[in-house]
Amino acid sequence: MLQKTIDWLDERVDLSEIRHFVAEKGVPVHTQKVWYYLGGMTLFLFGVQVATGILLLLYYRPSAAEAYESVQFIVTKVEFGWLIRNIHSWSANLLVALAFAHFFSVFFLKSYRKPRELTWLSGILLLFLMLGFGFSGYLLPWNELSFFATKVGTGSAGAMPIMGHFLLRLLRGGDDVTGATLSRFYGLHVAILPAMATALVAGHLLLVQRQGMSVPLSIEKKLKPGEKLPQMPFFPNYIMRDVLAWYVLIAVLAALAAFYPWELGNKADPFAVVPPGIRPEWYFLAVFYTLKLIPSHILGFEGEKIGVIAFGIVALFLVVVPFLDRKSLRGERSPVFTVLAVLGLVYLVTFTIIGHYAK
Amino acid sequence: MRRGLCVQFLVALVLVAARASAQPANSCLTCHATQQDARIASPAALFSQQDVHRERGFACADCHGGNPAATAKAQAHDAAKGYKGKPTGPQIIATCARCHSDAELMRRFAPKQRVDQATEYATSVHGKRLASGDTNVATCVSCHGAHGIRLVSDAKSPVFPTNVATTCANCHADAKRMAGYKLPDGSPLPTHQLADYQTSVHYNALTKGNDLSAPTCNDCHGNHGAVPPGVGAIANVCGSCHAVFAEKFATSVHKQIFDKGCVECHSNHAVQKPSDAMLGVTGKGICQPCHTAEDKGDKGAAAAETMRTEFEQLKAAIDTSHALIARVKNAGIEVSDQELALREAATKLTLAHTEMHAFEPTLVAPIIADGTKIAAAVDVAGQKGVSELEFRRRGLAWSLAAIVLVVVGLALKVRQIDQRRQKSDV
Repeated sequence: MLQKTIDWLDERVDLSEIRHFVAEKGVPVHTQKVWYYLGGMTLFLFGVQVATGILLLLYYRPSAAEAYESVQFIVTKVEFGWLIRNIHSWSANLLVALAFAHFFSVFFLKSYRKPRELTWLSGILLLFLMLGFGFSGYLLPWNELSFFATKVGTGSAGAMPIMGHFLLRLLRGGDDVTGATLSRFYGLHVAILPAMATALVAGHLLLVQRQGMSVPLSIEKKLKPGEKLPQMPFFPNYIMRDVLAWYVLIAVLAALAAFYPWELGNKADPFAVVPPGIRPEWYFLAVFYTLKLIPSHILGFEGEKIGVIAFGIVALFLVVVPFLDRKSLRGERSPVFTVLAVLGLVYLVTFTIIGHYAK
Repeated sequence: MRRGLCVQFLVALVLVAARASAQPANSCLTCHATQQDARIASPAALFSQQDVHRERGFACADCHGGNPAATAKAQAHDAAKGYKGKPTGPQIIATCARCHSDAELMRRFAPKQRVDQATEYATSVHGKRLASGDTNVATCVSCHGAHGIRLVSDAKSPVFPTNVATTCANCHADAKRMAGYKLPDGSPLPTHQLADYQTSVHYNALTKGNDLSAPTCNDCHGNHGAVPPGVGAIANVCGSCHAVFAEKFATSVHKQIFDKGCVECHSNHAVQKPSDAMLGVTGKGICQPCHTAEDKGDKGAAAAETMRTEFEQLKAAIDTSHALIARVKNAGIEVSDQELALREAATKLTLAHTEMHAFEPTLVAPIIADGTKIAAAVDVAGQKGVSELEFRRRGLAWSLAAIVLVVVGLALKVRQIDQRRQKSDV
């Protein structure tokens, strides 16, 4: 039946190129190949987010008066609504975690070096987009925690120099977090960000397919002149391993959804006293805690502004890192960038943990 | 230009001089402040610090008379200039009332303030005893202070709600000072009111719950017209806050029997948090000894026991449902409707407790039945939640089993195709 369908299609649109690509595509086999799976797993979770997000859209109502109640309706009255919402929430968190893991693995293996600068660029922009998805999606249930965390988060954006106030008003749709903010975040979460993410994912995948998998420098250096790494066929050997990893993810998501349901909390009340323990999602904790630690004024300048500028510089550094790391470009080891990555990882883990337990 | 500046300077100088001369001279403060005797120096010092009268432009002479412009003591303390010295007893009331009973004057400083304090005071036990010549009783300054007087709304004022009990106790907890005073029934005036009050729910609400509307001494006894609430007036006093309880109690048979109204069961100063155990003729029941368990024909005893049993049953039903709902909620099932229903059931229990003050079981029973019905419905929803939880876990187990099967199958297939590739490579 499948063969008949392929033949039918082949007669109408020439599939020989695809058939050739499928037959020829290979994945290098070496000791570090385990890191290749992270990208596929992140992509799979992105798919889960799209699918569960569309299902949630069927019932979600984006207004301050109805948002909370509609999520409540989804988890209590809609058949399997609880499962969809829990998977969407958990998958979002796993997605960000895997995106970070993918980012660090690429950084450590220096896979951003020529000719993969554009792959890195699209990947880093995708990582920022995933954080944007997390930030905008967090507010949508319109509960107490998300409401006040969004106030703090958009407040930090307001600390940006020159365009801070404009950005704050753009994000909030006014001076304060209100129903207008919810509408904006909803539009951002379900239309603007998905459109951008789809384009970037397509570009990222196209580049990966065109350029093939990057071989780590350490492996590449061990090869004798003219020697090639053994290849594993992408179809079916590699793709089946990918599917296996996706199945493991499904199992983890199902267990998390059943045993650790995502709390809905209390409906947001703009006039309520700020509840204790307001903090953003875990992936913003390090930044949040750092901004909290910075003194209010440093050498006469506003501390928060300096912090925001510093994070902006870090983000810019990440974008242009393939062009800065000249040594890896020449195929040499670049220990400075490895140390920077280690420091970044240690900082993120430490500050996230401290930020979680800090009062 | 320069001429203009000179004129402006001269005008400013004249204005400053005129303003300085408008300030009344007050030799009282300058002279008293230098005195060695603290009794003479401290009033001036206190008055110079925070004092509501000084802040509104009043000076020593407004109460004490005399000539504040004079620097010599004889001229300053000249009786011809109205010098009165330190007012005592009825003079204090008259001195304060001179302004505080003058509606026209008070309107200028505190338009909302009452001006009948002196009239009220005359009707109080303090006022009556003062009129009969007892100068040991409280006057205005005993509670408000004489110098350094603060507004009643100032938390440091001795008559701020949280300080009233201590202020009253300055005299009323002093056994020596209270010796010889008697209650209307002839018994000696006790001095343990403050100690009792500090064990009460009212004191707790006021001082620990920061509820400034919780009653302190003056809320029941009155402030300027302070008297012990007389027989028959107690229910009205308590009812001014606990209106519904008073209304129900007014319809009860006990209204005719209880001389002291609410106090008969709840005490006066040491009002404790009421409990269901108070109702009945067994254990801590306070219906005994008027009613007894031994007397099987005692309808009052039977009614009390019936109502207590009903309260305990509804309370137990609510607690059980609460525990069930909490369990389901912790497992991630949304139960806000049930939580709302349980609050409704708790309201029914409160209503039943209120209705109980009419001491008529037939009025309590329907409310208890409503509450029990709500709790039972919550229980059903809770059980449904438990079933849903079991369903979710069963579903997870089955899906995990299916996933594991697929994973194992895929792993085997990967191995097989890897082996096939290796063979073909060879």
